[in-house]
Parts: sequence; structure tokens; C-alpha cells
Amino acid sequence: MIEEILIYGTMQGALLALLALGFSLVYGVGGILNLAHGAFYLITAYMIYWILPYFIFFDNYLLRFGITAAISLVLVVGIAAVTYLGLMKPLQESHIGIVLVTFALAFFFEQFVKFVGDPKTHFIVPFVPDTITFLGVTFPAQLIALLVGSVTLVIVVTLFINKSTIGKSIRAVSQDYEAAQLVGINTDMILMTTVMISALLVGFAAVFYAPGNFIAPRIGWRYLLLAFSVTIFGGMGSIPGSILGAFIMGYATSLTDLLISPTFSVIIPIVVILVMLLVRPQGLLGKKELY
Amino acid sequence: MMNFQSDLQSLIGRFKIWVRTFRGSITLFSLVGLLLVPLSGNEYLATVLVTAMIFSIFAASWDFLAGFAGQVSFGHAAFFGISGYFTAAFVEFFNVHWIVSLFIGGGYAVVFSLLIGIPCLRLKGPYLALGTLAFALILWNLFLTGTWLGGTTGISGLPSLGNIFIVFYIIAAFMVASLIIMRAIVDSRLGTILKSIRDDETCADASGINTTTYKLIAFMISGFFAGIAGGLFTLHLTAVNPGAFQTLYSFYAIIMAAIGGMVTIYGSVIGAFLFTLLSEFLRPLAAAALLIFATLLILIVRFAEEGVMNPFLERVQDVWDFIRRR
Repeated sequence: MIEEILIYGTMQGALLALLALGFSLVYGVGGILNLAHGAFYLITAYMIYWILPYFIFFDNYLLRFGITAAISLVLVVGIAAVTYLGLMKPLQESHIGIVLVTFALAFFFEQFVKFVGDPKTHFIVPFVPDTITFLGVTFPAQLIALLVGSVTLVIVVTLFINKSTIGKSIRAVSQDYEAAQLVGINTDMILMTTVMISALLVGFAAVFYAPGNFIAPRIGWRYLLLAFSVTIFGGMGSIPGSILGAFIMGYATSLTDLLISPTFSVIIPIVVILVMLLVRPQGLLGKKELY
Repeated sequence: MMNFQSDLQSLIGRFKIWVRTFRGSITLFSLVGLLLVPLSGNEYLATVLVTAMIFSIFAASWDFLAGFAGQVSFGHAAFFGISGYFTAAFVEFFNVHWIVSLFIGGGYAVVFSLLIGIPCLRLKGPYLALGTLAFALILWNLFLTGTWLGGTTGISGLPSLGNIFIVFYIIAAFMVASLIIMRAIVDSRLGTILKSIRDDETCADASGINTTTYKLIAFMISGFFAGIAGGLFTLHLTAVNPGAFQTLYSFYAIIMAAIGGMVTIYGSVIGAFLFTLLSEFLRPLAAAALLIFATLLILIVRFAEEGVMNPFLERVQDVWDFIRRR
């Protein structure tokens, strides 16, 4: 029992960390609330689903999936860059404008997927086959890939933000937008990079988690909700907060899954949001103010 | 707070002056034109317009909250669906008269707006939008997976309100009443307070306004009218299912208010009619229709923040003045 909660909770936490890290980063750096975050997951998953059949001539499924995933990730990062330049940057002055336009964009992608594909649910074959039994718990081996990928990416992104020149500029912009401009940092460029990193992270979440799970045009909202609740829980704009929050939320979800019922675990995010807002509005490790 | 017992004489006098203004005459003309539609005997057109009128109440309630109080909600479908469900439940299970259950449904929407509002109003701007979106999604999931109130299939087979043309006039009356009440609230002292909160919350706080209370009041009023719209929608369709909670309806309210022009209340009517008629025209395109609307909304938010109503009316007024000067 306890092993199941630990294993599934860790896996869930790994997924949530990938989802929430980018979301939190974009908010922390640019004050941009990207409601199309879940939609990026959606389109990455669908692009993998659509592009996979074109590489049927590779016999090795892992290779085929790898190429497809690489193409999808490049495309989703490109879409994120275009989104920033075309929609977010011109509306940066008004927070409501950004929220409206990214909401419309998320809706656009949902309808796009419905229109180009179909509204039915689809299944992507996992690139790591079989199941693994660990500590007496049997689970799909795909989840190991998710865990390894998530931990690697989180470490890489954290190192990138803390050590590299671009990362230092990102932190400078998040601390003081105008001062960063004064010392010669191209803030638009930095914000675009941040949005692209965020899309890359959520794209990787789709690469690792979508195979072996069902995809449908409406799933984007669910992942947006997850990312949002983890971000509120961990503290808005705080990277360590969102990682910590992701794993706590992961264990909480798997606990309710097993102890109460999976239907109940759907409302865990809202319970978390509610309690957190009432008790500690700035989140676990968040900054004091909310906007 | 509101002085509804104003002198009838002065009200009539103000109405007469308003009718003589450009906007007044245009509004009256459109209203009379709308009320004449059932005389044509076209049932299809009447049904489409009934939907448009219900949605204009819904969109106006969103505009009230977002445009005037500055609290953007993405979860208006929650009020819409809750009221739809309770209206249907009271008609179906307790045999209450539909008009009573409509207001009971609206009352439940108010209760839910408090439940949503109290925690969410700790959030500001975009986070409030996301918080309300989360609530609507949760309600949708709860009704989709739960077994209460008809489970996934919802409640159906409600008694019809009667002939579509009678329904048309009932709903037209509801629309006009709701819009006038909302406009009156917006123009009253309460409206001024809400606008001050929207423009500068810190400043409003410093001027001695209890911002939380007033924001909650705005939430409740908006939730009530959204609830009325949801109840009317359910009564019109004679059925309700968890689909009433889906994000699509919140999106409808936003796109209609944005098309018509935010911070106007009346703009929502234009938006709702344009939207509903256009989506009827685009119906043969099926899935593409929503795709076109999503594109349209992106373009409107990006390039035309004022919507279509006010700029259009200003143009017409310029032309009208030009003709009269001749």
C-alpha cells in the first residue's frame, strides 16, 4: 500500500514538476500568465500522434518515436516563439489582454485539433514497452522514462537559470525589468526565451507522459489546471516552490486515488487551491505579493 | 443602496429625452424590430433569436463583472450550469412553477458565486481568472462523474414553456429587464464604487471602500444574472446535462462581450446576436465554425479592444449628423 503511494506519487510528481516549472517561470520572469500552457501539451501530444505514421519505414519504434518527438518539440518551441512575438508582446501592458488572448489561443488549439483530426480519444503506443515490478508494485516501464526525463530536465533547467549568461539575464529580468533594460539586456529576447523554455518543458511532459495515456482535444485544460494548482501551491514565480509543490501534490493525488477513489482525486487540485488561498495566499515558497 | 422609488414623473421625462437622442432611438427601433420577428411566423428564426437573447443576458453578466468591476472570470459556465441544474431539478422533482424555480436557480447561482468568490477574491487579475476557471472545470468533472441530479445524462423531459413565440416574448422580457437592471446598477453609486475598484484598488481602499465586500457584491449580481440565463437556457431546451459547465460556455460569454465591446453592457446584445446568427450561418462548416470564432476572438482582442458596437455607432452617428445638417 505505502509502496504504491510512494511510487505512483513520485511519478505523478515528476509529471507535475515538468508542467508547473515552465508555467511558474514565465509568470515569475515576465508576469505573463500563459493560459495556453495546457494547449502546448495538447498540440505536442497530437503532433506526435500525427507525425508518427510518416516514419513507419524505421523498424525500430524507439528511433521512430525519438525522431517524431524531436520534430514535435522543435515545432512547439517555434509555436511558442511566434505566440510570444505575435500575441503576448504587443499586449504586455494589460494583464487582462494577455489572459484573454492566451485563453483564446488555448481554445483555438483545442478546436484546431478537433478540426484537423477528430474529437475522439486516441492512444499513442508507449516507447518503453512492458511493465516493471518494483517493491511488489507493477507499473508501466514508461513511467521510469518519465521520472528520469523529468529529473534530468529539472536539473538542467535549474543549472541553466543559475549558471549560464542567458539564465543570469533571465533572473535579472525577473528581479527588475527596467533595471535589466538599463544595463543592456534585451528583455524581449529574454522573455521570448523563457516562453520557449516553458513550451519545451511542457512539450517534454507530453513526450514522456502522453504515450500510454489517452489523448483527446479537451485534455489541455486538465493539464493547465494541474500546472496552475501546483504553481499556486508552491508559490507563484518560485522555481523551488513549484518543484516541491509538484511532488507534494503528486503524493496527495496518489493517496486519494488509492484511499478514497480516483473520481475524488479530480477535485484535489481545487481543494489545494482553496486551502492554500485561504491559509497562505502567496504559496509555500512564494513572494509576498500576488501580482 | 439603490433608490428604485424615484419619482415616476422624472423617470418618464428622462425616458422621453433618452428616446430623442441618437442611441435611444436606435435602441428602440431595434427592440421594436426584434419584437416584430414572431409576427413573421418563422419558427426557426425565433428559436435562433431566443438563444441569442439568453446569451446576451449571460454575456452582459460577464461584462458586468469584468468590464465594470474589473474581475475577469473564466468560470461563468459554473453559474450557468448550477442554475440550469437547480431550475431543472425544482421543476422536475418538486413540481415547482418554472418562474419560481428559475429564481431559485438564480439564488443557487448567487450562493455558488459566494463560494467561488470568497477564496478567489484573494487573487488578483489573471489569477482570479484562472481560479474561477478551475472552479468551473471542477464542477464540470463532478457532474460528469457523479451520480447526483441525473448523473452524466442530466435531467431531461422538462415541461415545455409553450409555443416558441410565447417563449420568445417571455425571454425578450427577461432580457430587457436584466439589461436595464444591470445598466441601472452600473450607473448608480454602486457602479461608481465598482469602477473605482477596477481603476485603482489601492486608491479605492484608501478612500474607505471595503473592496472585498464590493467585489463580492459584484460577483453575486453577476452570478445571479448568469444563473437566470442558465435557467432560461435549460427551460428553453427542456433538458440539462453536465455539458452546461464546459469551458465553451464561459468562452461564449467572453467572445460575445468582446465582439460587442466590453464595459458597455448593451454591447453584449450586439455581440450575442452577431455571434449566434453567424454561428447559424457557419453551421454547415461544423467544427470549423468554432475554429473561426477562436481566430476571431484572438484578432479582436489583439487589434480592436473596443469591440464593434461603439465604433460602429459613432460612425453611424457621424453620418446621421452630416445628413441632418444638410
